[in-house]
Amino acid sequence: MTFHPPVRSRLLAAAALLAVTAMGGCAAPGGAARADGVLTFSTGQQPDCLDPQVSPAGITALINRNVFDSLVEMTPDGRFEPWLARSWTIAPDGLAYTFQLRDDVKFHDGTPVNAAAVKATLDHAVDPKTKSFSAKNLISGYAGAEVTGEDVVTVRLSKPNSALMQALSTPNLGIQSPRSIEGNFANLCWAPVGSGPFSFVRWARNERISLTRNPAYAWGPPSAKHTGAAALNGIDFVFMSEAKVRFGALTSGQVDVSEAVEPANAKSLAADGTWQYFHNVEPGMVHYLLFNSTKGKLADERVRTALMRSADLDALVRTATFGQLDRAWSPLSPTTIHYDLSTVGSWQVDRDLAGRLLDEAGWTGRDEDGYRTKNGERLTISWPYNNATATHLVETLAQGIQAEAKKAGIEIVRQGRDLGTWTNDLLNGNMDMFNSSYSRNEPDVLRFFFATGSTAASGGANLFKINHPELDAWLVHANTTVDEKARADDYAKAQRYLIEHSLVMPIYVPAKLMGASPDVHGLRFDVSGSPLFYDVSLAGARS
Amino acid sequence: MTTARRLLGRLVLALLVVLGAATVAFAAIHLTPGDPVRAILGTSGPSQQLIDQVRAELNLDKPLTVQYGLYVRNVLTGDFGESYQLQQPVVRLIGEQIGASVQLALSALALALLVSVVLAVATAGRRPALRRISGVVELLTISTPNFWVAVLLLTVFSFKLHWFPVIAGHGVSGLVLPAVALALGMVGMFTQVLREGMERALGEPFVLSSRARGSSETTVRVRHALRHAVVPLVTLSGWTVGALLSGAVVIEMVFNRPGIGRTLATAIANKDLPVVSGVVVIAAVVFTVVNFLVDVLYRVMDPRVGRFSR
Repeated sequence: MTFHPPVRSRLLAAAALLAVTAMGGCAAPGGAARADGVLTFSTGQQPDCLDPQVSPAGITALINRNVFDSLVEMTPDGRFEPWLARSWTIAPDGLAYTFQLRDDVKFHDGTPVNAAAVKATLDHAVDPKTKSFSAKNLISGYAGAEVTGEDVVTVRLSKPNSALMQALSTPNLGIQSPRSIEGNFANLCWAPVGSGPFSFVRWARNERISLTRNPAYAWGPPSAKHTGAAALNGIDFVFMSEAKVRFGALTSGQVDVSEAVEPANAKSLAADGTWQYFHNVEPGMVHYLLFNSTKGKLADERVRTALMRSADLDALVRTATFGQLDRAWSPLSPTTIHYDLSTVGSWQVDRDLAGRLLDEAGWTGRDEDGYRTKNGERLTISWPYNNATATHLVETLAQGIQAEAKKAGIEIVRQGRDLGTWTNDLLNGNMDMFNSSYSRNEPDVLRFFFATGSTAASGGANLFKINHPELDAWLVHANTTVDEKARADDYAKAQRYLIEHSLVMPIYVPAKLMGASPDVHGLRFDVSGSPLFYDVSLAGARS
Repeated sequence: MTTARRLLGRLVLALLVVLGAATVAFAAIHLTPGDPVRAILGTSGPSQQLIDQVRAELNLDKPLTVQYGLYVRNVLTGDFGESYQLQQPVVRLIGEQIGASVQLALSALALALLVSVVLAVATAGRRPALRRISGVVELLTISTPNFWVAVLLLTVFSFKLHWFPVIAGHGVSGLVLPAVALALGMVGMFTQVLREGMERALGEPFVLSSRARGSSETTVRVRHALRHAVVPLVTLSGWTVGALLSGAVVIEMVFNRPGIGRTLATAIANKDLPVVSGVVVIAAVVFTVVNFLVDVLYRVMDPRVGRFSR
């Protein structure tokens, strides 16, 4: 699983509740409605590859959701509904999942979606030749699949994985045509073949990806509002890297839906009332500041706590996001299953406490610049950033946190580094803290970031190699039990532990800010906050 | 010196330029810190096994000298290999993108030439006030960043006035704004050079003699003065090729156009050496070809060059 720090949309797609603020539409601005019935969606990112099992990019999942169907669909409250699988059973030991598939589903190439196709897809995900960046981690413990009937398949695991169903519900494990996997292996990135409501037409690199309606489609997910083929004739995903241009294109009626609206523009969009504005909180890890608690000055918990309590995050986040995003309390986003509400308000700004803790930790001296010192050494913390992925929002917040820390006598040094240096430093724990976020509707992300076994070398994100047996026990237990009550309890404890011991500083709750023309009807979102186009229609279109 | 020998010399020189450019690209990618494999696979997730596998596939496990040797051989045979990031042949990737870039560059160049000729003819040797205004405008166009101009043009002519589409497509209407944005910086430079040349020419005796023969002001300016002023403009061609290439990166990004500028920018960020070297070599080839053509053009336009220099 790749995580590219502040660029949110690169992240895995998955699941949860939405805070949808749809504004009623007035008169059509500019006439986005197009007689050809093709919806234009503008995005700031271009996929690197459309093989769902290869690319972990958020934009790949967003596009692929239209091309690929999944075995199951996840509901906002964390349950699973039948989709390509009519029903399933899970062995009591959690090591075998048997799926009974629908027998009437066809891929875009006309071949049937059957047990063999499910097996081919999962095998493809773990095949070293695939060079999957993510899917392999999604089905950790995969020990193979067994075809026991035309439409019956059993997925076997070497160890229980309570996050498997969520993984199977994502576009990343969307079922591919085996004929395409075998016959077109070298070209899977450029010609995805699934069974979804739209089929792939063309990828004009640096320009757009075009999809067209699959007329045979009759197997929509249970959350869909209609049956049969999609209402739209097609979708064009156009790549607009500049936020200003995306916004202008939307408000001048030249695109129908735009993602990644800047907070400043989102505010005016929300206030205007002509366009539809969507604020979809993303599940998973919030935007956080991860502390290097295993070496350097932040190895002292008192210093970490002092840093966390020195900043008035409510004010910082409100100002930096023009009131469009919320400050975070837990490392998990509020729309993630088993989010712990008791973290809210549990670590308010407390500058006196910060001062006391630093005194206790021995940082009692002051130098000429007003920073605290101990034995003549200044309390300096390094927070490097990567030039390529730095965003205006994170920079603004970082400056705020830096200024607040300075008041407490802590010096935060921000240095820009190129991607290569930054990655090396990160993987070698050669920094005191780093910020990022990670989207996936599974509290198991906590294990990925904080469990002892999840080091970078073993494919995890425990970059500073923290080792807290208590925490490990909850995270591993929660991942291997199917008892949801026990999981909820484990995850609540883990979230509180992370905050109490100041291992991570949650900053803000990331959200997908999107705008749409009033002519776009029926736009819905999946549990990860990604748009779903199957039910969408365009006013004025002839379909 | 015979023409054949001169041509051969030029060819060798051109080859050296291309090889030099390719070497600089290789060095730049390898000297900057960071690992291309990491850039390809992301900061976490891939197992060591996958990293080693990719590294071996890309020959990145070999000593640098061996890598360089392989690289030079490939560049000389025009085989740039496969993009690390996109896993497609570089030649196909560039082939897909170069058409749009050439189209943009040529339209911008034609537009810039047309506008600056008109401006220079109209303002050379005119009243100081007019020249001063023109001078300020030229300075502005030279010093305004491409990016800013591009966003401004889009805001006014696409978002507000709806004259041109922001999603370019392949029609002429989609080419207008990008070409104008790219041409603007060149207009300032060209006009200044042209006007200076024209003003010098307007003071020459042959202009006086032409006027004495009763030629109209327009004839004097266009037929005599302009022809002289064009020669120094040609020497700017190196600068022009550079401006077109670097400008294309920004313009292609802002206007969402396909093109090699945008491809290059992405490739550099991803340390995608095959793509970077492919684009760099093409740029070097274009550069040498343009310089060669300019040399030839020089002789045609100004017979003195051929006669006195050799």
